Amino acid sequence: MMRSADNPTTRELAQRLLAYEEVETTPATTDAHAVSRVCDKLRRPLTTLAGAAGFRSLLARALTLAKQESPVLGAWEVKSDGSLRGLNGEAAQSGAVLIAHLIGLMITFIGEALTLRLLHDVWLDLPSSEINFGRNQSK
Amino acid sequence: MNEQSKVKINQLPTGVPGLDEILGGGLPEFSFNIIAGSPGCGKTTLAHQFIFANATVERPALYFTVLGEPAMKMLRYQQQFTFFDASKLNNAVRFVNLSQNLIEHGLQGVLEEISKQVEAANPSIVVVDSFRTVLRSEMHNGKDMAVQTFVQQLALLLTSWEATTFLIGEYSESEVRDNPVFTVADGLFWLFQQVDRNSVVRKMQVMKLRGQASVPGLHTFRITEAGLQAFSRTLGLLGQRKTFTRVKRLSMGIPALDKMMGGGVPEGDSLLIAGSSGTGKSLMATQFLAAGIRAGEPGIAAVFEERPNEYTARATEFGLDLQTPLAEGSLEVIYLRPLDLSVDEMMQEILDAVKRTGAKRLVIDSLAGFEMALAPAFRADFRESLYRMIFALTAIGITILSTLEMPESFTELSFSSYSISFLTDDIIRMRYVEIDGQLSQIMMVVKMRRGAHSREIRQYKITTDGIVIGERLKGYVDLITGIPQPLSVLRSEEL
Repeated sequence: MMRSADNPTTRELAQRLLAYEEVETTPATTDAHAVSRVCDKLRRPLTTLAGAAGFRSLLARALTLAKQESPVLGAWEVKSDGSLRGLNGEAAQSGAVLIAHLIGLMITFIGEALTLRLLHDVWLDLPSSEINFGRNQSK
Repeated sequence: MNEQSKVKINQLPTGVPGLDEILGGGLPEFSFNIIAGSPGCGKTTLAHQFIFANATVERPALYFTVLGEPAMKMLRYQQQFTFFDASKLNNAVRFVNLSQNLIEHGLQGVLEEISKQVEAANPSIVVVDSFRTVLRSEMHNGKDMAVQTFVQQLALLLTSWEATTFLIGEYSESEVRDNPVFTVADGLFWLFQQVDRNSVVRKMQVMKLRGQASVPGLHTFRITEAGLQAFSRTLGLLGQRKTFTRVKRLSMGIPALDKMMGGGVPEGDSLLIAGSSGTGKSLMATQFLAAGIRAGEPGIAAVFEERPNEYTARATEFGLDLQTPLAEGSLEVIYLRPLDLSVDEMMQEILDAVKRTGAKRLVIDSLAGFEMALAPAFRADFRESLYRMIFALTAIGITILSTLEMPESFTELSFSSYSISFLTDDIIRMRYVEIDGQLSQIMMVVKMRRGAHSREIRQYKITTDGIVIGERLKGYVDLITGIPQPLSVLRSEEL
């Protein structure tokens, strides 16, 4: 099954979000912190839409999918409060895979247009007009 | 109190076609309303239509979800509707999840969070979906007083902050009594979904609406990709009866028949053409429409047994050009055969067509087809619905010709199996008779409410030029039974 997370645009978007957050972190812990920061920033809109438990479920699902693709994420876990545990530097490089799957799940549920709109509300600099998933958007 | 000192209650458009009319103009601003009904009956969609029609960035809509359907799933499905405007999300339309507040802090926590959000956002609209779940936990604990206090505080808060509010809940009708929520509410909208045989019928009722007169009773509604569309029982046509200073007669397109009717059918009348299959009812209806087109009177044909192109093609066979007026817009052929229609929907279709064409004449061909197209639940009310429809349409000056297929009896002459003759101003009866070993056709004008008419029983033929009426049939008795006796035979028997 072709997932939204497999779309190159989704991957690129995930990388871009991480890049935004890497600017804010120290070099030693750059990758891991950036992944956490992206997830934390998505927590608010997703909690609004799905509740705290819903956000945790989505993140856990995204992590499960990401682990299938990138086994180095094996030690990562989603805590009961919806935060990530076990992030290490080596695996953090695969963090984009997790973010891509989280965005992919959002696209699956609410569509590309609304997903981009939510992301844009969090990352105001995100140039949504440049992001094209290459499929017909019904909404 | 004089008009000037009365407070003016603004009415907000609901965004639901037909509903403003049912409410008496729109929804009262700052009202505290409940949308109730069983699962799947369209409560959430109704609320969404309202918020997308009214919310602005300056005065947004706050949509609180509680323990029911999470907003994420709601958005997944609601964005399929054409009224959904993604650009309003998170600015003009904002979702807030209160599940955690309820679980951790109960009703007080919910009230505090709503207060906080309302004070911060200055919303014009607040929706709590599902409100029932907010109250359920407390009610189960026997804390009726706490629930009542909560509802009153919430109503006070939201009204003070000038918000129009909707509480959405899955209630059953038996819960209306002694429920504090319903007592406090200014507006109570109940949505029903009934399954009858294989069809589903949706109805709504405005059980309560303070400050203005709504249309009472059950109104049908439909949910399409455009959301809800409501059909008022009266379609706002009551009290608009058009009065004619002089009775204008409309030609039937058959000169001899016009003469029999005293000059044609009076404008604004409802005329019934009754007869068995093949007697030419549809042809007479088509000639009536064509005569109107020639006289500059646009028309509408509501057909149930033929498709529009078949209908116009058949007219061509009789030398009647309906294709040109159809293309030019002075004729509309409405073809409806969904089998789950309501009369109100049909009437809405006709009214829309009347607005588009300026129609003066309407043909319903046939009443039996119309009845078949209705959902089974509506068939029981067919006569009453037909009465409302005919009354409403003739009130705005439309002249209606309906055809009715009658089973042919050779012992009696019945006028209608529906007993609807009281609904019609005029009746023409067409039927077969056996004369000299041949099947002939006769017609008679049975009833003309507004004038004298011929009492003759006339023979007629269906030709390539349409219906041609012959002379009065003389020399027979019992013509209307279908098996007439020649007078000469009867006289010889008497001798």
